[in-house]
Amino acid sequence: MNIEHLATLAISDSGFIFDPCTGDTYNTNEIGLKIIQWIKKGKDFNELMDLLIAHYDVTEEELEADLLDFIQTLKYYHMV
Amino acid sequence: MITVAVSGINAMDNPGPGVGIIRALKESALNVRTIGLAFDSMEPGIYLDHLIDKSYIMPYPSGEVKSFINRIQDIHSREKLDVIISTLDAELPVYMDIELTLRQWGIQMLIPSKKMFNLRNKTKLEDISKAINILTPEYISCSSYGDLVKATQTIGFPCMIKGPFYEAFKANSMGEADNYFNKLTEKWGFPIIAQKFVKGQEYDVVGCGDGNGNSMGLFAIKKMTTTSLGKVWNAVSIKNERLLETCHQLLKHLSWRGGFELEVLIDEHSDDIYLLEINPRFPAWVYMSSACGINLPERMVRFLLDMPYETHSNYDSGKIMIRYTNEILKDISDFEQISSYGELENNERLP
Repeated sequence: MNIEHLATLAISDSGFIFDPCTGDTYNTNEIGLKIIQWIKKGKDFNELMDLLIAHYDVTEEELEADLLDFIQTLKYYHMV
Repeated sequence: MITVAVSGINAMDNPGPGVGIIRALKESALNVRTIGLAFDSMEPGIYLDHLIDKSYIMPYPSGEVKSFINRIQDIHSREKLDVIISTLDAELPVYMDIELTLRQWGIQMLIPSKKMFNLRNKTKLEDISKAINILTPEYISCSSYGDLVKATQTIGFPCMIKGPFYEAFKANSMGEADNYFNKLTEKWGFPIIAQKFVKGQEYDVVGCGDGNGNSMGLFAIKKMTTTSLGKVWNAVSIKNERLLETCHQLLKHLSWRGGFELEVLIDEHSDDIYLLEINPRFPAWVYMSSACGINLPERMVRFLLDMPYETHSNYDSGKIMIRYTNEILKDISDFEQISSYGELENNERLP
Protein backbone atom coordinates (compact mmCIF):
# COMPACT_ATOMS: atom_id res chain seq x y z
CA MET A 1 0.00 0.00 0.00
CA ASN A 2 1.15 3.49 -0.79
CA ILE A 3 1.48 5.25 2.56
CA GLU A 4 3.04 8.48 1.25
CA HIS A 5 -0.22 10.46 1.40
CA LEU A 6 -1.36 8.76 4.61
CA ALA A 7 1.77 10.08 6.31
CA THR A 8 0.73 13.67 5.55
CA LEU A 9 -2.66 13.38 7.28
CA ALA A 10 -3.27 14.88 10.70
CA ILE A 11 -4.91 12.10 12.75
CA SER A 12 -6.07 12.72 16.32
CA ASP A 13 -6.48 10.12 19.07
CA SER A 14 -10.26 10.41 18.73
CA GLY A 15 -10.14 9.19 15.12
CA PHE A 16 -10.66 12.61 13.52
CA ILE A 17 -8.62 12.89 10.31
CA PHE A 18 -7.71 16.14 8.51
CA ASP A 19 -6.10 16.20 5.09
CA PRO A 20 -4.05 19.46 4.98
CA CYS A 21 -3.72 19.23 1.19
CA THR A 22 -7.45 19.03 0.36
CA GLY A 23 -9.08 20.31 3.55
CA ASP A 24 -11.17 17.13 3.73
CA THR A 25 -12.09 15.72 7.14
CA TYR A 26 -13.09 12.20 8.15
CA ASN A 27 -14.01 10.29 11.27
CA THR A 28 -13.11 6.73 12.05
CA ASN A 29 -13.62 4.53 15.12
CA GLU A 30 -11.07 2.95 17.44
CA ILE A 31 -10.50 -0.06 15.18
CA GLY A 32 -10.18 2.07 12.04
CA LEU A 33 -7.68 4.25 13.84
CA LYS A 34 -5.58 1.22 14.82
CA ILE A 35 -5.61 -0.12 11.25
CA ILE A 36 -4.48 3.27 9.89
CA GLN A 37 -1.69 3.46 12.46
CA TRP A 38 -0.51 -0.04 11.50
CA ILE A 39 -0.63 0.82 7.79
CA LYS A 40 1.46 3.92 8.53
CA LYS A 41 4.01 1.61 10.18
CA GLY A 42 4.21 -0.36 6.92
CA LYS A 43 2.09 -3.42 7.77
CA ASP A 44 0.75 -5.27 4.72
CA PHE A 45 -2.67 -6.92 4.36
CA ASN A 46 -1.66 -10.28 5.87
CA GLU A 47 0.05 -8.63 8.80
CA LEU A 48 -3.04 -6.52 9.43
CA MET A 49 -5.16 -9.70 9.44
CA ASP A 50 -2.87 -11.31 12.02
CA LEU A 51 -2.83 -8.23 14.24
CA LEU A 52 -6.61 -7.82 14.17
CA ILE A 53 -7.27 -11.51 14.90
CA ALA A 54 -4.87 -11.25 17.83
CA HIS A 55 -6.64 -8.15 19.22
CA TYR A 56 -10.32 -8.82 18.48
CA ASP A 57 -12.77 -11.68 18.70
CA VAL A 58 -13.41 -12.19 15.00
CA THR A 59 -13.22 -15.03 12.48
CA GLU A 60 -10.80 -14.87 9.56
CA GLU A 61 -13.67 -14.96 7.01
CA GLU A 62 -15.56 -12.07 8.63
CA LEU A 63 -12.42 -10.02 9.08
CA GLU A 64 -11.14 -10.45 5.53
CA ALA A 65 -14.32 -9.00 4.03
CA ASP A 66 -14.44 -6.11 6.50
CA LEU A 67 -10.74 -5.29 6.13
CA LEU A 68 -10.94 -5.32 2.33
CA ASP A 69 -13.95 -3.03 2.58
CA PHE A 70 -12.13 -0.63 4.91
CA ILE A 71 -9.02 -0.50 2.71
CA GLN A 72 -11.24 0.10 -0.31
CA THR A 73 -12.74 3.07 1.57
CA LEU A 74 -9.26 4.44 2.27
CA LYS A 75 -8.43 4.09 -1.43
CA TYR A 76 -11.67 5.80 -2.45
CA TYR A 77 -10.65 8.82 -0.37
CA HIS A 78 -7.12 8.74 -1.84
CA MET A 79 -5.59 8.01 1.58
CA VAL A 80 -3.64 4.94 0.42
CA MET B 1 0.55 57.90 10.57
CA ILE B 2 -0.37 56.31 7.24
CA THR B 3 -3.79 57.10 5.80
CA VAL B 4 -5.39 54.34 3.76
CA ALA B 5 -8.77 54.62 2.03
CA VAL B 6 -10.59 51.37 1.28
CA SER B 7 -13.76 50.74 -0.72
CA GLY B 8 -16.21 47.84 -0.43
CA ILE B 9 -17.17 48.35 3.22
CA ASN B 10 -20.59 46.80 2.65
CA ALA B 11 -20.20 43.96 5.17
CA MET B 12 -23.55 42.38 4.34
CA ASP B 13 -24.73 38.91 3.28
CA ASN B 14 -22.77 39.38 0.04
CA PRO B 15 -19.89 41.20 1.70
CA GLY B 16 -17.35 43.46 0.09
CA PRO B 17 -13.69 42.94 1.06
CA GLY B 18 -13.22 46.40 2.61
CA VAL B 19 -13.95 45.65 6.26
CA GLY B 20 -11.67 42.58 6.22
CA ILE B 21 -8.86 44.61 4.65
CA ILE B 22 -9.25 47.39 7.20
CA ARG B 23 -9.28 44.91 10.08
CA ALA B 24 -6.07 43.38 8.72
CA LEU B 25 -4.47 46.85 8.54
CA LYS B 26 -5.62 47.83 12.03
CA GLU B 27 -4.15 44.63 13.47
CA SER B 28 -0.85 45.08 11.63
CA ALA B 29 2.31 46.79 12.88
CA LEU B 30 1.42 49.87 10.82
CA ASN B 31 0.01 53.01 12.41
CA VAL B 32 -2.98 53.45 10.11
CA ARG B 33 -5.82 55.91 9.86
CA THR B 34 -8.56 54.12 7.90
CA ILE B 35 -10.96 55.86 5.55
CA GLY B 36 -14.02 53.96 4.32
CA LEU B 37 -15.30 54.75 0.84
CA ALA B 38 -19.00 53.83 0.65
CA PHE B 39 -21.71 54.16 -1.98
CA ASP B 40 -24.65 53.96 0.39
CA SER B 41 -25.45 55.34 3.86
CA MET B 42 -26.39 51.89 5.13
CA GLU B 43 -23.08 50.16 4.39
CA PRO B 44 -22.26 48.67 7.81
CA GLY B 45 -18.55 49.53 7.68
CA ILE B 46 -19.43 53.22 8.05
CA TYR B 47 -20.62 52.58 11.61
CA LEU B 48 -17.79 50.28 12.76
CA ASP B 49 -15.89 52.87 14.79
CA HIS B 50 -13.35 50.35 16.12
CA LEU B 51 -12.15 49.77 12.54
CA ILE B 52 -13.00 52.73 10.35
CA ASP B 53 -11.93 56.19 11.45
CA LYS B 54 -13.89 58.15 8.90
CA SER B 55 -16.22 57.28 6.03
CA TYR B 56 -17.21 59.19 2.92
CA ILE B 57 -19.99 58.57 0.41
CA MET B 58 -18.63 58.23 -3.12
CA PRO B 59 -20.43 58.78 -6.41
CA TYR B 60 -21.18 55.56 -8.28
CA PRO B 61 -18.35 54.53 -10.63
CA SER B 62 -20.86 54.05 -13.44
CA GLY B 63 -21.45 57.83 -13.45
CA GLU B 64 -19.14 60.59 -14.65
CA VAL B 65 -15.43 59.98 -14.03
CA LYS B 66 -15.05 63.71 -13.31
CA SER B 67 -17.34 63.62 -10.31
CA PHE B 68 -15.59 60.46 -9.05
CA ILE B 69 -12.15 62.06 -9.27
CA ASN B 70 -13.42 65.34 -7.81
CA ARG B 71 -14.70 63.48 -4.79
CA ILE B 72 -11.34 61.76 -4.27
CA GLN B 73 -9.61 65.13 -4.60
CA ASP B 74 -11.95 66.58 -1.99
CA ILE B 75 -11.29 63.69 0.41
CA HIS B 76 -7.53 63.86 -0.26
CA SER B 77 -7.45 67.60 0.51
CA ARG B 78 -8.77 66.81 3.98
CA GLU B 79 -7.25 63.41 4.71
CA LYS B 80 -3.91 63.45 2.84
CA LEU B 81 -4.38 59.91 1.57
CA ASP B 82 -1.28 57.76 1.15
CA VAL B 83 -2.92 54.69 -0.36
CA ILE B 84 -6.28 53.69 -1.84
CA ILE B 85 -7.20 49.99 -1.88
CA SER B 86 -9.95 49.40 -4.42
CA THR B 87 -11.96 46.24 -3.81
CA LEU B 88 -14.82 46.30 -6.28
CA ASP B 89 -14.69 44.92 -9.83
CA ALA B 90 -17.05 47.63 -11.08
CA GLU B 91 -14.88 50.55 -9.90
CA LEU B 92 -11.48 49.14 -10.88
CA PRO B 93 -11.63 50.34 -14.51
CA VAL B 94 -12.22 53.88 -13.24
CA TYR B 95 -9.22 53.70 -10.93
CA MET B 96 -7.13 52.32 -13.82
CA ASP B 97 -8.00 55.45 -15.79
CA ILE B 98 -7.07 57.85 -12.99
CA GLU B 99 -4.21 55.99 -11.31
CA LEU B 100 -1.54 58.24 -12.83
CA THR B 101 -3.33 61.39 -11.67
CA LEU B 102 -3.66 59.93 -8.17
CA ARG B 103 0.04 59.11 -8.13
CA GLN B 104 0.85 62.70 -9.06
CA TRP B 105 -1.19 63.76 -6.05
CA GLY B 106 0.81 61.38 -3.85
CA ILE B 107 -1.81 58.61 -3.63
CA GLN B 108 -0.48 55.13 -4.37
CA MET B 109 -2.47 52.16 -5.68
CA LEU B 110 -1.50 48.60 -6.57
CA ILE B 111 -3.97 47.60 -9.26
CA PRO B 112 -3.74 45.68 -12.54
CA SER B 113 -3.41 47.41 -15.89
CA LYS B 114 -6.38 47.34 -18.25
CA LYS B 115 -4.63 44.67 -20.30
CA MET B 116 -4.18 42.40 -17.24
CA PHE B 117 -7.74 43.13 -16.12
CA ASN B 118 -9.14 42.12 -19.52
CA LEU B 119 -6.98 39.00 -19.79
CA ARG B 120 -8.56 37.51 -16.65
CA ASN B 121 -12.07 38.21 -17.93
CA LYS B 122 -14.44 35.27 -17.49
CA THR B 123 -14.70 34.90 -21.26
CA LYS B 124 -10.93 34.46 -21.69
CA LEU B 125 -10.14 31.86 -19.06
CA GLU B 126 -9.25 29.17 -21.60
CA ASP B 127 -6.20 31.13 -22.81
CA ILE B 128 -4.91 31.65 -19.27
CA SER B 129 -5.54 28.10 -18.13
CA LYS B 130 -3.55 26.80 -21.13
CA ALA B 131 -0.71 29.17 -20.36
CA ILE B 132 -0.44 28.03 -16.75
CA ASN B 133 -0.96 24.32 -17.47
CA ILE B 134 -4.33 23.73 -15.86
CA LEU B 135 -7.79 23.12 -17.33
CA THR B 136 -10.95 25.17 -17.49
CA PRO B 137 -14.44 23.70 -17.84
CA GLU B 138 -15.74 24.12 -21.40
CA TYR B 139 -17.74 27.36 -21.55
CA ILE B 140 -19.57 29.47 -24.09
CA SER B 141 -20.23 33.18 -23.76
CA CYS B 142 -23.88 34.05 -24.52
CA SER B 143 -25.09 37.46 -25.64
CA SER B 144 -28.63 36.41 -26.51
CA TYR B 145 -31.22 33.77 -25.68
CA GLY B 146 -30.41 32.08 -29.01
CA ASP B 147 -26.77 31.80 -27.91
CA LEU B 148 -27.89 30.15 -24.67
CA VAL B 149 -29.94 27.51 -26.51
CA LYS B 150 -27.00 26.69 -28.81
CA ALA B 151 -24.55 26.70 -25.90
CA THR B 152 -26.58 24.26 -23.79
CA GLN B 153 -26.97 21.97 -26.82
CA THR B 154 -23.19 21.92 -27.16
CA ILE B 155 -22.29 21.65 -23.46
CA GLY B 156 -25.24 19.52 -22.29
CA PHE B 157 -26.78 19.26 -18.82
CA PRO B 158 -26.10 19.77 -16.02
CA CYS B 159 -24.27 23.01 -16.71
CA MET B 160 -23.46 26.19 -14.82
CA ILE B 161 -25.15 29.47 -15.81
CA LYS B 162 -22.97 32.38 -14.64
CA GLY B 163 -23.39 36.15 -14.56
CA PRO B 164 -20.73 38.51 -15.94
CA PHE B 165 -19.70 39.72 -12.47
CA TYR B 166 -21.39 37.63 -9.80
CA GLU B 167 -23.60 34.60 -9.17
CA ALA B 168 -23.68 31.16 -10.70
CA PHE B 169 -26.39 28.50 -10.77
CA LYS B 170 -26.40 24.81 -11.67
CA ALA B 171 -29.02 24.14 -14.36
CA ASN B 172 -30.28 20.58 -14.86
CA SER B 173 -32.63 21.35 -17.76
CA MET B 174 -33.36 23.95 -20.43
CA GLY B 175 -36.22 25.26 -18.26
CA GLU B 176 -33.83 25.92 -15.37
CA ALA B 177 -31.18 27.40 -17.68
CA ASP B 178 -33.83 29.72 -19.17
CA ASN B 179 -34.91 30.83 -15.69
CA TYR B 180 -31.34 31.53 -14.47
CA PHE B 181 -30.46 33.27 -17.76
CA ASN B 182 -33.35 35.74 -17.30
CA LYS B 183 -32.59 36.23 -13.62
CA LEU B 184 -28.91 36.99 -14.27
CA THR B 185 -29.37 39.25 -17.30
CA GLU B 186 -31.97 41.29 -15.41
CA LYS B 187 -29.54 41.76 -12.51
CA TRP B 188 -26.09 41.92 -14.13
CA GLY B 189 -26.58 42.27 -17.89
CA PHE B 190 -24.59 40.41 -20.58
CA PRO B 191 -22.64 38.27 -21.34
CA ILE B 192 -23.95 35.19 -19.58
CA ILE B 193 -21.57 32.23 -19.41
CA ALA B 194 -22.82 28.68 -19.95
CA GLN B 195 -20.18 26.36 -18.49
CA LYS B 196 -19.82 22.59 -18.32
CA PHE B 197 -20.47 21.22 -14.84
CA VAL B 198 -17.47 19.47 -13.29
CA LYS B 199 -18.00 17.52 -10.06
CA GLY B 200 -15.39 18.32 -7.45
CA GLN B 201 -14.42 20.55 -4.57
CA GLU B 202 -13.86 24.30 -4.78
CA TYR B 203 -10.71 25.95 -3.54
CA ASP B 204 -9.63 29.58 -3.40
CA VAL B 205 -6.21 31.20 -3.18
CA VAL B 206 -5.65 34.84 -2.23
CA GLY B 207 -2.43 36.55 -3.21
CA CYS B 208 -0.80 39.77 -4.26
CA GLY B 209 1.53 40.42 -7.19
CA ASP B 210 4.14 43.16 -7.41
CA GLY B 211 3.70 43.74 -11.17
CA ASN B 212 6.98 42.03 -12.05
CA GLY B 213 5.77 38.45 -11.76
CA ASN B 214 6.70 38.09 -8.08
CA SER B 215 4.44 36.96 -5.28
CA MET B 216 3.99 38.98 -2.09
CA GLY B 217 2.49 35.91 -0.37
CA LEU B 218 -0.17 33.27 -1.02
CA PHE B 219 -2.85 31.68 1.16
CA ALA B 220 -5.19 28.82 0.16
CA ILE B 221 -8.52 27.64 1.53
CA LYS B 222 -11.15 25.02 0.91
CA LYS B 223 -14.68 26.38 0.99
CA MET B 224 -16.59 24.53 3.73
CA THR B 225 -19.92 26.28 3.36
CA THR B 226 -21.10 28.97 0.95
CA THR B 227 -24.03 31.38 0.75
CA SER B 228 -26.75 31.11 -1.87
CA LEU B 229 -24.59 33.41 -4.04
CA GLY B 230 -21.66 30.99 -3.76
CA LYS B 231 -19.71 33.25 -1.41
CA VAL B 232 -17.47 31.67 1.23
CA TRP B 233 -19.10 31.53 4.65
CA ASN B 234 -16.86 29.00 6.40
CA ALA B 235 -13.45 27.87 5.21
CA VAL B 236 -10.41 25.85 6.26
CA SER B 237 -6.81 26.76 5.46
CA ILE B 238 -4.94 24.19 3.37
CA LYS B 239 -1.42 23.69 2.04
CA ASN B 240 -1.66 22.40 -1.51
CA GLU B 241 1.61 22.79 -3.39
CA ARG B 242 -0.02 22.27 -6.82
CA LEU B 243 -2.40 25.17 -6.16
CA LEU B 244 0.34 27.47 -4.94
CA GLU B 245 2.52 26.58 -7.93
CA THR B 246 -0.41 27.40 -10.23
CA CYS B 247 -0.63 30.84 -8.63
CA HIS B 248 3.10 31.44 -9.09
CA GLN B 249 2.72 30.59 -12.78
CA LEU B 250 -0.28 32.89 -13.06
CA LEU B 251 1.60 35.79 -11.46
CA LYS B 252 4.50 35.28 -13.84
CA HIS B 253 2.31 34.84 -16.92
CA LEU B 254 0.31 38.03 -16.31
CA SER B 255 2.95 39.98 -14.35
CA TRP B 256 -0.01 40.56 -12.09
CA ARG B 257 -0.10 43.81 -10.15
CA GLY B 258 -2.26 43.93 -7.03
CA GLY B 259 -4.45 41.64 -4.97
CA PHE B 260 -6.23 38.72 -6.56
CA GLU B 261 -8.32 35.66 -5.77
CA LEU B 262 -7.93 32.48 -7.80
CA GLU B 263 -10.99 30.22 -7.74
CA VAL B 264 -10.46 26.64 -8.85
CA LEU B 265 -12.18 23.29 -8.72
CA ILE B 266 -10.37 19.97 -8.32
CA ASP B 267 -12.10 17.12 -10.18
CA GLU B 268 -12.99 14.46 -7.63
CA HIS B 269 -12.15 11.63 -10.05
CA SER B 270 -9.18 12.82 -12.11
CA ASP B 271 -7.66 15.23 -9.55
CA ASP B 272 -7.28 17.76 -12.40
CA ILE B 273 -7.33 21.46 -11.47
CA TYR B 274 -9.96 23.52 -13.29
CA LEU B 275 -9.75 27.30 -13.35
CA LEU B 276 -13.13 28.84 -12.51
CA GLU B 277 -12.38 32.52 -12.02
CA ILE B 278 -9.68 35.10 -11.31
CA ASN B 279 -10.96 38.02 -9.28
CA PRO B 280 -8.81 41.16 -9.72
CA ARG B 281 -8.81 42.24 -6.06
CA PHE B 282 -8.71 40.83 -2.54
CA PRO B 283 -11.71 38.64 -1.65
CA ALA B 284 -14.09 39.29 1.26
CA TRP B 285 -12.41 36.52 3.30
CA VAL B 286 -8.96 38.17 3.06
CA TYR B 287 -8.89 38.78 6.83
CA MET B 288 -8.49 35.02 7.30
CA SER B 289 -5.09 35.13 5.58
CA SER B 290 -3.86 37.93 7.82
CA ALA B 291 -5.15 36.15 10.93
CA CYS B 292 -3.03 33.18 9.82
CA GLY B 293 0.11 35.32 9.43
CA ILE B 294 -0.07 36.33 5.76
CA ASN B 295 -1.18 39.95 6.07
CA LEU B 296 -1.51 40.84 2.40
CA PRO B 297 -3.16 44.29 2.87
CA GLU B 298 -0.26 45.28 5.14
CA ARG B 299 2.29 43.93 2.64
CA MET B 300 0.58 45.84 -0.17
CA VAL B 301 0.71 49.13 1.77
CA ARG B 302 4.35 48.59 2.74
CA PHE B 303 5.25 47.78 -0.87
CA LEU B 304 3.55 50.95 -2.12
CA LEU B 305 5.24 53.14 0.47
CA ASP B 306 8.72 51.61 -0.06
CA MET B 307 8.73 50.02 3.37
CA PRO B 308 10.21 46.53 3.97
CA TYR B 309 7.63 43.77 3.61
CA GLU B 310 7.49 39.98 3.92
CA THR B 311 6.83 37.70 0.95
CA HIS B 312 6.65 34.29 2.62
CA SER B 313 3.64 32.00 2.48
CA ASN B 314 4.30 30.14 5.72
CA TYR B 315 1.03 29.49 7.50
CA ASP B 316 -0.69 26.63 9.31
CA SER B 317 -3.22 24.44 7.55
CA GLY B 318 -6.28 23.36 9.54
CA LYS B 319 -7.37 26.82 10.73
CA ILE B 320 -11.07 27.39 10.19
CA MET B 321 -12.84 30.67 9.55
CA ILE B 322 -16.29 31.02 11.10
CA ARG B 323 -18.20 33.97 9.67
CA TYR B 324 -21.14 35.17 11.74
CA THR B 325 -23.74 37.91 11.81
CA ASN B 326 -23.80 40.58 14.48
CA GLU B 327 -25.64 43.77 15.40
CA ILE B 328 -24.47 47.14 16.69
CA LEU B 329 -26.48 50.10 17.95
CA LYS B 330 -25.72 53.64 16.80
CA ASP B 331 -27.48 56.96 17.26
CA ILE B 332 -29.68 58.28 14.45
CA SER B 333 -27.38 61.33 14.34
CA ASP B 334 -24.69 59.13 12.77
CA PHE B 335 -27.07 58.22 9.98
CA GLU B 336 -27.98 61.90 9.66
CA GLN B 337 -24.29 62.81 9.28
CA ILE B 338 -23.55 60.28 6.57
CA SER B 339 -26.81 60.68 4.67
CA SER B 340 -26.99 64.50 4.88
CA TYR B 341 -23.31 65.45 4.67
CA GLY B 342 -21.85 62.38 2.95
CA GLU B 343 -19.29 61.75 5.67
CA LEU B 344 -19.06 60.39 9.20
CA GLU B 345 -16.14 60.88 11.58
CA ASN B 346 -15.82 58.00 14.02
CA ASN B 347 -12.43 58.90 15.46
CA GLU B 348 -10.83 62.32 15.20
CA ARG B 349 -7.34 62.41 13.66
CA LEU B 350 -4.81 62.71 16.45
CA PRO B 351 -2.30 65.57 16.15
